Amino acid sequence: MDMFLYLDNDTFLHRLDPRTKMLVMLASFVVALMFYSLPTLLGLTLVIVLYGMAGKTLGNLKRIRFILLMIALFSVVLWSLTYGGPTKILGPISTEGILYGIVIGMKFDIMIISGMIFLSSTKVEEISLGLVKLRLPYRGAFAFATAIRMVPMIVATSFTIAQAQKSRGLDLDSGNLLERAKKYVPLLIPTIISVIRGTNVFAMALESKGFGYSEDRTNYLQISIKKGDYAILFLALIVITVSTYFKFVVI
Amino acid sequence: MKEVFSMWKDTKMVVLVALSAGIYAAVLIPFKGFVLIPGITEFRPASALPVVLGLLFGPAGAWGAAIGNLIGDFFGSLGIGSSFGFVGNFLFAYVPYKLWRNLGMVNKDDMEPNLKSSKQIIAYVVVAILGSAACGLFIGWGLELLGMVPFAALASIITLNNSIPSIILGIPLLIVLYPRIKKWDLLWTDILPEEDVPAITAKTRTGAIAMTLLVLVGLIGGLAAAVGGGQALLYSGFASTAGNQMVVIIAGIGSIGVLIAGWMQ
Repeated sequence: MDMFLYLDNDTFLHRLDPRTKMLVMLASFVVALMFYSLPTLLGLTLVIVLYGMAGKTLGNLKRIRFILLMIALFSVVLWSLTYGGPTKILGPISTEGILYGIVIGMKFDIMIISGMIFLSSTKVEEISLGLVKLRLPYRGAFAFATAIRMVPMIVATSFTIAQAQKSRGLDLDSGNLLERAKKYVPLLIPTIISVIRGTNVFAMALESKGFGYSEDRTNYLQISIKKGDYAILFLALIVITVSTYFKFVVI
Repeated sequence: MKEVFSMWKDTKMVVLVALSAGIYAAVLIPFKGFVLIPGITEFRPASALPVVLGLLFGPAGAWGAAIGNLIGDFFGSLGIGSSFGFVGNFLFAYVPYKLWRNLGMVNKDDMEPNLKSSKQIIAYVVVAILGSAACGLFIGWGLELLGMVPFAALASIITLNNSIPSIILGIPLLIVLYPRIKKWDLLWTDILPEEDVPAITAKTRTGAIAMTLLVLVGLIGGLAAAVGGGQALLYSGFASTAGNQMVVIIAGIGSIGVLIAGWMQ
């Protein structure tokens, strides 16, 4: 089971420095947050989709489609029921509420798609090294990267424990969703214990390999800002400048 | 608060940050589709973990909750709210272990969180609610500041969504985990050198009282200002838009004040 979004392609986007991709992602968040106009957000979506296409990362949209759909759906339902507005359609539902729900749902979906493109084109090691290059202390970046790698292992451990309990007669499949969820709660404890139990050995293994020996670490993986990165950063800067101009001067 | 930074010198604490974050993220991810507020929060049984992790692993649990929440966001909801989620979830674990030690609700000679007495269980419930409220306050303030989600709706939903699992699931979880963690010498007070574990003094007690008051003033004051400004609690709160100046100021004082009160401890 592959839980990660990373797609191993050799594209222009994959070759960009992780810091560039982080800044592009942040720029997309800023622009998405600035505007409440549907055409502007549609334009931003188009730009982000083209950016994602450059890295052949849009295949992952299938994997997060449930979350995107739920966010869009909940947003429209929630805001159309509560937003109010003069043009009533049925009961509390108004045209303004539906439009506002679509806009808010779109803002969130844009940010999530942008995050997905970043994760689909950047390895965990690159994110970690990028953070170190951005002056995050190495130990923090190490904990972050290790935690991401631990997630599939923890999920696999919980499956093993569930299988072991099933073989002893625990019925995890009957009942409604809530009842089934309740049956999984006790499985949380052996999962946590089996993960935490390894702490001392893990720490010893790290120290035996010289973890924390020197602050000036060298890395096998090397990253650097190249011409392509400067071009993308320049484009991102233009987008931010134009958006700010339209937001605060024109509108 | 110095242990929050000095703990990074200790390899075992770094490992505990990674493991805590991994566990929290692994329990968060399966529920990402159970949306409560689109793009912001979802049904979170994993909220049982930060308070327990904070009480057992101290600063490592707090960093673990923050990083774990960020990793959870990586699996489908990474957005601007993730930055406030990082700090909010840090506070969700940080506030409980700080108040547990410094608020004076548990005896000085029985400070380890074994939940063997009713006094300790009451203290657990109080710190869990205050931790949940600190998380709701910070995230609610951040998204009100950005004009994205009304404070009254978001802060009240997050506080409830965090408090319920952290009390109902957190108490049995802590009772089961504590003896094992203690046996393996993994309690944060057993790992960190004595000079890195802040002593309980009049200053830390004042800091804990200030932290409690600031969480309550920020949350209750912010909610009162929001309701006064036309917002409503829980889902009814979505009828209004975010960006109320008074709410931003009051909740902001609470949010930033909690962090400053942390420095005193």
